[in-house]
Amino acid sequence: KMSTNENANAAAARLNRFKNKGKDTTEMRRRRIEVNVELRKAKKDDQMLKRRNVSTLPDDATSPLQENRNNQVTAHWSVEEIVKGVNSNNMELQLQATQAARKLLSREKQPPIDNIIQAGLIPKFVSFLGRADCSPIQFESAWALTNIASGTSEQTKAVVDGGAIPAFISLLASPHTHISEQAVWALGNIAGDGSMYRDLVIKFGAIEPLLTLLAVPDLSSLASGYLRNVTWTLSNLCRNKNPAPPIEAIEQILPTLVRLLHHDDREVLADTCWAISYLTDGSNDRIEVVVKTGLVPQLVKLLGCSELPIVTPSLRAIGNIVTGTDEQTQIVIDSGALSVFPSLLSHHKNNIQKEAAWTMSNITAGRQDQIQRVVDHGLVPYLIGILRKGDFKSQKEAVWAVTNYTSGGTIDQVVYLVQAGVVEPLLNLLSAKDSKTVLVILDAISNIFLAAEKINETEKLCLMIEECGGLDKIEALQSHENEQVYKASSTLIEKYFSAEEEEDQNVVPESTAASYTFQIQGNTPNTFNF
Amino acid sequence: MELSDANLQTLTEYLKKTLDPDPAIRRPAEKFLESVEGSQNYPLLLLTLLEKSQENVIKVCASVTFKNYIKRNWRIVEDEPNKICESDRIAIKANIVPLMLSSPEQIQKQLSDAISIIGREDFPQKWPDLLTEMVNRFQSGDFHVINGVLRTAHSLFKRYRHEFKSNELWTEIKLVLDAFALPLTNLFKATIELCSTHANDASALKVLFSSLVLIAKLFYSLNFQDLPEFFEDNMETWMTNFHTLLTLDNKLLQTDDEEEAGLLELLKSQICDNAALYAQKYDEEFQPYLPRFVTAIWNLLVTTGQEVKYDLLVSNAIQFLASVCERPHYKHLFEDQNTLTSICEKVIVPNMEFRAADEEAFEDNSEEYIRRDLEGSDIDTRRRAACDLVRGLCKFFEGPVTGIFSGYVNSMLQEYAKNPSVNWKHKDAAIYLVTSLASKAQTQKHGITKANELVNLTEFFVNHILPDLKSPSVNEFPVLKADGIKYIMIFRSQVPKEQLLLSIPLLINHLQAESIVVHTYAAHALERLFTVRGTNNTILITAAEMAPFVEVLLTNLFKALTLPGSSENEYIMKAIMRSFSLLQESIIPYIPSVITQLTQKLLAVSKVKNRLSGPILFVGIFLLISYNCSVIISFPEFIPYVFQVMSLLLEMHKNEIPSSYMALFPHLLQPVLWERTGNIPPLVRLLQAYLERGANTIASAAADKIPGLLGVFQKLIASKANDHQGFYLLNSIIEHMPPESVDQYRKQIFILLFQRLQNSKTTKFIKSFLVFINLYCIKYGALALQEIFDSIQPKMFGMVLEKIIIPEIQKVSGQVEKKICAVGITKILTECPPMMDTEYTKLWTPLLQALIGLFELPEDDTIPDEEHFIDIEDTPGYQTAFSQLAFAGKKEHDPVGQMVNNPRIHLAQSLHKLSTACPGRVPSMLSTSLNAEALQYLQGYLQAASVTLL
Repeated sequence: KMSTNENANAAAARLNRFKNKGKDTTEMRRRRIEVNVELRKAKKDDQMLKRRNVSTLPDDATSPLQENRNNQVTAHWSVEEIVKGVNSNNMELQLQATQAARKLLSREKQPPIDNIIQAGLIPKFVSFLGRADCSPIQFESAWALTNIASGTSEQTKAVVDGGAIPAFISLLASPHTHISEQAVWALGNIAGDGSMYRDLVIKFGAIEPLLTLLAVPDLSSLASGYLRNVTWTLSNLCRNKNPAPPIEAIEQILPTLVRLLHHDDREVLADTCWAISYLTDGSNDRIEVVVKTGLVPQLVKLLGCSELPIVTPSLRAIGNIVTGTDEQTQIVIDSGALSVFPSLLSHHKNNIQKEAAWTMSNITAGRQDQIQRVVDHGLVPYLIGILRKGDFKSQKEAVWAVTNYTSGGTIDQVVYLVQAGVVEPLLNLLSAKDSKTVLVILDAISNIFLAAEKINETEKLCLMIEECGGLDKIEALQSHENEQVYKASSTLIEKYFSAEEEEDQNVVPESTAASYTFQIQGNTPNTFNF
Repeated sequence: MELSDANLQTLTEYLKKTLDPDPAIRRPAEKFLESVEGSQNYPLLLLTLLEKSQENVIKVCASVTFKNYIKRNWRIVEDEPNKICESDRIAIKANIVPLMLSSPEQIQKQLSDAISIIGREDFPQKWPDLLTEMVNRFQSGDFHVINGVLRTAHSLFKRYRHEFKSNELWTEIKLVLDAFALPLTNLFKATIELCSTHANDASALKVLFSSLVLIAKLFYSLNFQDLPEFFEDNMETWMTNFHTLLTLDNKLLQTDDEEEAGLLELLKSQICDNAALYAQKYDEEFQPYLPRFVTAIWNLLVTTGQEVKYDLLVSNAIQFLASVCERPHYKHLFEDQNTLTSICEKVIVPNMEFRAADEEAFEDNSEEYIRRDLEGSDIDTRRRAACDLVRGLCKFFEGPVTGIFSGYVNSMLQEYAKNPSVNWKHKDAAIYLVTSLASKAQTQKHGITKANELVNLTEFFVNHILPDLKSPSVNEFPVLKADGIKYIMIFRSQVPKEQLLLSIPLLINHLQAESIVVHTYAAHALERLFTVRGTNNTILITAAEMAPFVEVLLTNLFKALTLPGSSENEYIMKAIMRSFSLLQESIIPYIPSVITQLTQKLLAVSKVKNRLSGPILFVGIFLLISYNCSVIISFPEFIPYVFQVMSLLLEMHKNEIPSSYMALFPHLLQPVLWERTGNIPPLVRLLQAYLERGANTIASAAADKIPGLLGVFQKLIASKANDHQGFYLLNSIIEHMPPESVDQYRKQIFILLFQRLQNSKTTKFIKSFLVFINLYCIKYGALALQEIFDSIQPKMFGMVLEKIIIPEIQKVSGQVEKKICAVGITKILTECPPMMDTEYTKLWTPLLQALIGLFELPEDDTIPDEEHFIDIEDTPGYQTAFSQLAFAGKKEHDPVGQMVNNPRIHLAQSLHKLSTACPGRVPSMLSTSLNAEALQYLQGYLQAASVTLL
């Protein structure tokens, strides 16, 4: 059959072969931080892993005791006094001692957590958790243990070793909401310690009673502080990798997260988004579990709100989802996420810019129609803006975005990118003090050249590169210490900025001083077969 | 080998012999050492010697031998035997650090190198105590020891600056940071304190400052990959001290040497690098410190002298400012008018000044001067850094900066006007300033392509550049002359045409200047001006406009080649070529004198006596090339231009080739000429000109040279980059040579082409191949093509049709090329009996369909993946690509020409003819398998040709 259509198909087939030059998209998609070692300080934007309850307002509404009255009495007990009180057989004294311990542990500066642990008080406090006959001591001991568990891993371990997990889980069903809330908080601290305790909390069956706490027709009927605590603890149950939480647990929690995602409290929303960001930080099947609940449109809506504490985790979640398959990425695009990116890519917070650029890099690693959506939403100038004047971490991500784009884009898309002015800022970054970034830029340049070759614009591109001082930079990289960098730069120079040649050794003639010898070489194939 | 005195003695003897100048003694000793180096204890014996030998020379020799031994043997390569036994490895690692630290410097250096080689393999896993061992020495208080440790650490850690992030690497860095960061910080503080207690002790200061240089370098390596938590927490300590060190000066540390940078300069330079690293990568954390560094670095610039030893420091410091001032959030640091003024006045202007060293280069080392000034190999110079700073500042402050500089430019020009002979350097700086201010983008090919609109380039040109060039003395103020010429050259796309025309006679005049730089620049400027294209992409300056200057231009250009120092001046040669190319026929009247001069010039260079004088064209060149090939090697850059001149002249000949040219012909086939890529296009063009004008002469008078000519074809066809040039040559051979003269070679030609097709075909090759076989078919007939193919291998013709022609014909590009293919394929379809009555018949309709596709479908420009690395020079095909290159001239040539006007009609007529020969066959073949759309097109052709098929 002879038609121009066939020709068009052939062109598409070629582009598919050209696309990514043999890399498959999974390789181009970059998961969040593949390096487990960090040199940096822990990130400031992250959600709290553990929290101490330091609400010591005298008229604290959550306190059932007439603390005002007792304040003077229990304010400044020594650890010895506390040990004595706790070990006495007097219930009132035990309560007072426990409260005194709680107060020590709640003070702003240097709570004596280790002293309390060394005094062997934990088993006692754990046993008080079971004293349903005296809710105040349940409350005070739960609070004290919460604050011990908020400390270092060692300190959390002491609480767990004291058998606190099942005791707290039982307390979730306490008729007193302030007690169940404290248990929720304590479990959150324990689960927040890491994968091991998180799974232990799950194994002891915490999820079902936790979810039951939210099983009300209208979430607004719950006290906001209470709801926030439960949400936070749920998010800690979703948190941490190596290993990620059990998939059944996630499936159990997700419907509630979806509900919470529609609630109108900003802290609840923020923590829910954090939870989703943790759940999506993993393999494609993990992402699928989240995406199939249909929460992406709501997540995108939140991405567009102007509250930084919500935008941060929702952007992380969206960014994680687009590390997934083309189909998962498409759901994000179809939910309208791209229209939020102009503001994210020019956000005043560097970290948001960085995450947004990272997200873009995984979208541009996708299909050509997905790249087209990026173009149609006018995002290319924003990426170029970051290359031009973003902070270094954002620039690095934008470089990836551009390189993936050039690797998978059609010729027209690459031409548009060049016309939008990518060359100069991209090449300026060749002076970046980071070998990987430099290599990725060289890759982008090589991709752009491949496109230029097809439309016979190689020479023009060479001039553009020279004009912006890029040629000097590429030449200088030929003496870079990193082998891959100097090889890549030398290849570019050889290919496009000098004349080098490649010969078929079977055809090259012998020569004398006077002339080449016209003759067939020895190793001629017996039969030709084209 | 045992660790015995006897063995130590033996080893000493052999080591001593390895130093012997007599190879008869040295070589066997080296052989012996090599033969025993696999033995256990050998390295330990060397270590013992380098520590305890009585003779210093043996100590040093043992240390070098040891290091080389480690270099060759330490690495354990998979699947290869371990070359050093485990107990030796352990012993080496246990002893080498203390040994290194207690050795004199000469030996310390060797051992330090050895440690880093071992470290690269074993550290950290297999050498866990290395770090602690090193860190413990920091407390020794002995700075000889401490510097040894620091140097070793530096060689171990510097790879962090260029390696990719990985878990393994970062784990190592974390380990190093845990063990090393705090002690290093303490050492840094302690060393700085010692510097103030020993402020009056020159020798102590020297040692302490060399420690500080190393510490600053270690800081750079350890902070390179990411900002470590430790250094973020201790930024205050480090940055405050770095800042203090930047502002520090101590007379005792100043060196007398003007060239070599001293310790203080090295330290400050490294601190600038460290600050630049933080500013680029850890901007958020570094922000509070940055303004202080900007001030300090700028004060440093203001107070640093003009000596060469400060160059690196100054250019690093300026680059730091340049990189900071383009960041939006640091804009405020610079925007104050006083600040800008002071940066311009105290940092930029002084560093743009023409220094004594520049003046020296201008006069005595013009080649280097030109390379730096014209070709941009000035990356590390102060002027370049100052220029970058101007560009950086212009991003935000173009208006104010232009304003400030205008003031400076004016006052510098006034200074100059007061007393030109004393103050000419002021004008030089003024021109440089205007240039750097105005140029926003620049390429070698087009000069400045984007200019600052606030600078009135034409006005400056008229008022300050033209007057200098108009001055009657071309040798006065040569630097200013060179500046002026360069100005014209780089702003050639900005200055209006009438001004350029005004400057042409002035440039021609300056070809006579004595200064090499000046006449070189004049030649280069002319050459560049002749390439400028106007609005409709035609050459801006026409031959007609050049008419009044032709004679003086050619005369001066050739005279310039006789000026001292310029006999092999490539810029002048290029200008000659470019002039020929531009002026074309109008140079003919001057050819005799031109050629005489060219010949003389060549003869002078080769020092061969002129044996044949007279007006015979090119005799000189013939002689040169035939008598002395070394000429070609002695000035290779020159050769392509000679060939181009010859092609141009040969092409101007209307008749048969002159015999003088024929004498040269064999020499053009010499491999030495073809090895240089730059020679290939002009040489191919020259050979084509020979074939066009003198094919018959070659066939009759130089038939023995035909294999050599085909040898060149074979050489070119072997190369993926040059194969199209080979086809140009082959096409000319087929088109012009009498058939019988190449008859015996034809089969071999095709076998070579088939080899490429089999082993290393590329799209470019296939395109050229298709054009060639169709041209062959037109010239020799379709039957001849089929016969020669099938004589190489049975059914070859069918295979080529099926696998190459039918699927690939759509890729052919270019009007003439497509026409050749259309006519060729028409011949195969209609004039090749085997297509009608053998098994090839089944290919007839597909071939016809492919031909209609060639007529009607858009060109297929797909290129397979793996081929993206092959250079494709425009669209290769029949026509020489040369006409599309720099030197335009060769008209498009159509070998089919008048024979066929409209290939579609030609197809229709040919089919008609075929159908009359065998009635009924053609319509039946068409109706069975030709696709409907194609059939429709075909009917259109038949209608247009008013023929029907029988």
